[in-house]
Amino acid sequence: MKLFPVEPGTVGPCPVAPDALQGIKRQQTNPARWNGAGWQDFVAALGNAGVELAEGTVACGVYATDAGGTAYGMPHGVVIARSAGQISLLLKAAQSHRVPVTVRGGGLTTEGESVAFGGVLLDMTGMSRVLQIDAAALTVRTEAGIYWHSLAEELRRENLDYLSAPLNLTSSVGGTLGVGGIDVNSARLGCSADQALSLQVVTPTGEIVECSDSENPELFQRVILGYGQFGIITAATLRVRPYTPLAMRYFYYSSLRTAIEDLQMLDANDASDYSGILTIMDCAVNLLVAFDSDEREAVFHANWKSRLRGYGEFGFALCMAGHYALRPWKFREALYLLQRKREVFPEFRRPEYMRDGKMHDRSVVFSRAVWKHWGSRQMVIPDLATSADKFIEAVERGNAVCRKYFAHYTLYCVGIKLRPEHQPHYEMSCIPPDAEGWAYGCEFEPMIEGGVYSRDHFQAFKNAIYDIGVDLGASYYRFGGMMKGYIRRVFGDALVDRHLAMKRRADPAMILNRDVIF
Amino acid sequence: MPAFLARAPAAPRDYAACSGCSLCLLVCPMWRGSHDPRLTPEGLAKGLQSGATVRELAAPIVACSLCGACDPVCPERIDLSGLIMDLRLRSANSLPPNSPQPAVIVELSARLHQAAGAAPAAGVVSRSAPVLLPGPELRADPALLARVQALLGLAVFDDDGADIALALELGVEIPQQRLHGFLDSLRGHTIVAADGLLLRQLRRWLPGSQRMGLGPALSTRAAVRSNLVPSDLYVIEPRAFHGDYERMVGYYDRLQRETGCSLSLDLQRIAIPAASSGLAQKLGLAAGDDVQAKWMLQGRKPARIVVESLADRAAFERVCDLPVVHLAELGEDPQMMQKFRHAFG
Ligand SMILES: Cc1cc2nc3c(=O)[nH]c(=O)nc-3n(C[C@H](O)[C@H](O)[C@H](O)COP(=O)(O)OP(=O)(O)OC[C@H]3O[C@@H](n4cnc5c(N)ncnc54)[C@H](O)[C@@H]3O)c2cc1C
Ligand code: SF4
Ligand code: SF4
Repeated sequence: MKLFPVEPGTVGPCPVAPDALQGIKRQQTNPARWNGAGWQDFVAALGNAGVELAEGTVACGVYATDAGGTAYGMPHGVVIARSAGQISLLLKAAQSHRVPVTVRGGGLTTEGESVAFGGVLLDMTGMSRVLQIDAAALTVRTEAGIYWHSLAEELRRENLDYLSAPLNLTSSVGGTLGVGGIDVNSARLGCSADQALSLQVVTPTGEIVECSDSENPELFQRVILGYGQFGIITAATLRVRPYTPLAMRYFYYSSLRTAIEDLQMLDANDASDYSGILTIMDCAVNLLVAFDSDEREAVFHANWKSRLRGYGEFGFALCMAGHYALRPWKFREALYLLQRKREVFPEFRRPEYMRDGKMHDRSVVFSRAVWKHWGSRQMVIPDLATSADKFIEAVERGNAVCRKYFAHYTLYCVGIKLRPEHQPHYEMSCIPPDAEGWAYGCEFEPMIEGGVYSRDHFQAFKNAIYDIGVDLGASYYRFGGMMKGYIRRVFGDALVDRHLAMKRRADPAMILNRDVIF
Repeated sequence: MPAFLARAPAAPRDYAACSGCSLCLLVCPMWRGSHDPRLTPEGLAKGLQSGATVRELAAPIVACSLCGACDPVCPERIDLSGLIMDLRLRSANSLPPNSPQPAVIVELSARLHQAAGAAPAAGVVSRSAPVLLPGPELRADPALLARVQALLGLAVFDDDGADIALALELGVEIPQQRLHGFLDSLRGHTIVAADGLLLRQLRRWLPGSQRMGLGPALSTRAAVRSNLVPSDLYVIEPRAFHGDYERMVGYYDRLQRETGCSLSLDLQRIAIPAASSGLAQKLGLAAGDDVQAKWMLQGRKPARIVVESLADRAAFERVCDLPVVHLAELGEDPQMMQKFRHAFG
């Protein structure tokens, strides 16, 4: 396929044609590297403005790829964020010299969105200070480059906790507010982006603006869930809550459909504080349910537990034994399940995180398990986000794709409570346009396990998952970089063009995160 | 367990395995002080992956305090502090032959070579008896050393490998003869070592041996343990802790449950290094900073700080007015006080 060079500020031809057949292999849409025109003048301008820029292998090598490890690109130079004022000077110089600026928080994107293909890489983690904790108002003001985990460390000293954040420790607050942020309590508390009360933003032209639902609301609506298109988040005021350990309960299913029905039943009835599904392929489907208090758990036991169709650990083991005894040709699968159980389960029960039967610091427990058992130098995690009623179909179809492409994989499903008053935030975001009440997300994560797969294989797999999204009218948690060919297919030209017009007004030289969406 | 399910503990991997997850950065005191990704183990691993030279990576190699906090958190099992020690050694070896060396290094090299040539110390301690390797800081405080000995009932081993520990720290080549002489003298003994870095290496060099850090050795004593109270902040010596993480995290978890004291662990159950000093501080070329000790106290209100290491005591005494006591000072066993009256003042 021929990929056409795209001038900044213009719409390129969509490399995935609207009438393309489902399931065909597609080319990646890695952005072309910026050619470096005027770089030296730009460097001189930054120097005059007192903005420190680092060049060379050591400075740039850290940013060669993102967590996905399939998109590689190098910036010309790196700026470590130190203040809104410094970022403002950087963006003003970048606008006048037309130098692309790619913003990076934790770099946990998997489609190359936080990889710089030339230009400046702005590393936001240099702005990692907690500015103020208001224990009475239950809010925190923090610099936006901070990792959620570092924020949690500081909040815990005040016996507080954030509301919800990705289960991976090293995503940043700013990067997450621009993308979504889904936790196992999102079915109750919403996504991380919904926690933000106000933001300090540096616009693509270098203005430093405070925004919220009442102050500069248009900017707030575009920056929240905006994939870094309309400004750089430099500080955020977030809601927080008192810290609690949690009581975690597991139910096991052999049917995805049944487990999802039960998950949605619990969410719809506010029956638990945390809920989600984590699977080993579609063989062992674990519905996890957790509670912040004994009272909430007691209500669950009284009203909802008996309605769940999952088994306890022992009952499920018996069920599995029977299943595989009747299907001896599937003994390899049985062995894999056994081995996986033996490796992964103890991670969730490490004594140093358990006190009186309750789990402390769940994000650490989950995150360490995630990196240890799912992490690798390449992580391919396409996902689908749908309305509640389309979710089972999306997961079942995605599961069939996983089976086709990989021997082993995991599915991770969670609900996201929507805030009707935040509807303007959700436009052209991971929240599907037709979702009401809750949206549901499923990650399809193949186990790479040291295997070697071609980038084409990964890309074909991702395309097959993303095609389901187009077909169902769903959305995606990670859209950008290499899958930006899907943006128009899923949202339609009218909406994308409207956002592009806004983007061009806000960012005349199209320098800020320019390869992510448009 | 069926053999096919049993997996041998995996060997450490090298920097090529780094996936860029950044977990190591969260616990790294260099990062806390700088918020500069170049001063992190991840920056180092990624720099190496990108073909950076040892010289280009000098900043993190020099600034690292070898606290070892990054090792247990790395999901790819990269021996990060080992890598940094290795790079220190390589950077020293890659200097032009006549380039000026700090006096400490010149003097240490001479000492190591002298010790390599010397006959092994005559065995004062019988084989198999437990021995104490106190290290220079504890030796410099004879009263405290006497308390430690009294509590543990241990003889001080004449050759406590202080030169070897310092060589590991500074990246100075250890003559094979010196190393083998030292290790041979320790074979068969149960070892209690105050220096966490030396202990970490002994774990590799003498895999079958019985070893223990000073902290666990002292805190298992009833006379010490019974004096730990919930209002104490117990500061773990990080190198020994991270060098034997899986065992130690369990040990201190039990200690915490039994005594109620709070521990100097972060939410990942990694020991926050209080006195974090890189090469420049070790060589006396720069003053240590107190960022870590201050962070450890932020939002905490202990009545007393209990330390395992004397370096930590100094760090806390600089940043707060709270009483800071060494673990050995908690043991007030009457019989022992009688026997070692001089040590209890
Ligand atoms: C192993 C793994 C587990 C994950 N688990 C979860 C999970 O449980 N829940 C979940 O929701 N997600 C999860 N994710 C996805 C990931 O957490 C999100 O993409 C994440 O929140 C991004 O945060 P980040 O700081 O890494 O952002 P980055 O990846 O650095 O950036 C994301 C986007 O935002 C832009 N950006 C970054 N910082 C700013 C800023 N300050 N202002 C404006 N734009 C900015 C970037 O240019 C980029 O386009 C996981 C990813 C991985 C690899
Ligand atoms: S040993 Fe300590 S200071 Fe050195 S890189 Fe690891 S965590 Fe950082
Ligand atoms: S923890 Fe290990 S894999 Fe992760 S960034 Fe650090 S060195 Fe790399």
